Amino acid sequence: MKELNLPGTQSTPTVTGNWDAGLLSISGDSYPENSFEMFGDIIAWVEGYLADSDHPLRVDLRIVYMNTSSVRAMLDIFDLLEEAHQQGRDVTVNWYYDPRNERVVSLADEFKEDCSFTFNIAPEKAA
Amino acid sequence: MENMDTIDLFTLREHFNRNRILLCFNGPISRSLIEEIGNALKNYLQADNAHPSAAMDVFATYIEMTQNIRHYAAKRGYNDQEGSATVVVARDEDGHYLVQAGNMIEASDGDTLQGMVDELAVLDKVALKARYKEQMRKPRDDDAVTGAGLGLIDIARKSAAPLQADLSPAVNGRQFFSLRAVI
Repeated sequence: MKELNLPGTQSTPTVTGNWDAGLLSISGDSYPENSFEMFGDIIAWVEGYLADSDHPLRVDLRIVYMNTSSVRAMLDIFDLLEEAHQQGRDVTVNWYYDPRNERVVSLADEFKEDCSFTFNIAPEKAA
Repeated sequence: MENMDTIDLFTLREHFNRNRILLCFNGPISRSLIEEIGNALKNYLQADNAHPSAAMDVFATYIEMTQNIRHYAAKRGYNDQEGSATVVVARDEDGHYLVQAGNMIEASDGDTLQGMVDELAVLDKVALKARYKEQMRKPRDDDAVTGAGLGLIDIARKSAAPLQADLSPAVNGRQFFSLRAVI
């Protein structure tokens, strides 16, 4: 059991990985100059979780803006999920967005196009 | 050339106002400075009543342009001064936002960069999306030479007018490269 807790900064999102619940949450903007410093930890957590058991994994995203460096790193995460899904694993992505900003939908949609697992893009009222 | 002591601030201000310049910066640019100026830009756009989507596109274009400049300077081993960026965000007569950024590059990289921009400038949105997805899957080292790969395509996708690049001759085997997007 490993917990992942990355506090958010101006240019990096808040990340929590709950091993027991099988839940990874990423919230906030992501535009660090070098995204692999931060995403490396997330990718390692996802790899570890997927290899450890056959429990389902749910990924809840509340990301508004990503720079292209973060987009590339996120693609690596989705590739891991897709591979696990192809091997019969139960994986789900829920991408929540503020309905006032439709750019998030196109960002999420372009990722979804290349994924065959359950990928929900849902409006959510701002807190 | 005028002496440093005689810079006419009022004339400079009039010039900024006439060209509807919201924000401009000239000098060495750090990771944290990009974030701080980005914050100011977000606030200005909000005060300017920009639509949230437009504000996000302007911000995104600013981030990609300035981070490209940082990546380029790092790849070429430039010091802070050599990696200086010139950034201008303005509004045009039609209410579009102009985002422009420039930096010194090796003269030998000029044609490559200009070629990349010209190639993207003729593509429509569908072709740009295809190019973006293709670049996303390419090994990261593919961007190595200029540091401008996916970011440049992303900017081209957001720009309402074809991307425009200009090269100006400079000293010491360098050129000034400037890029312009219309949001």
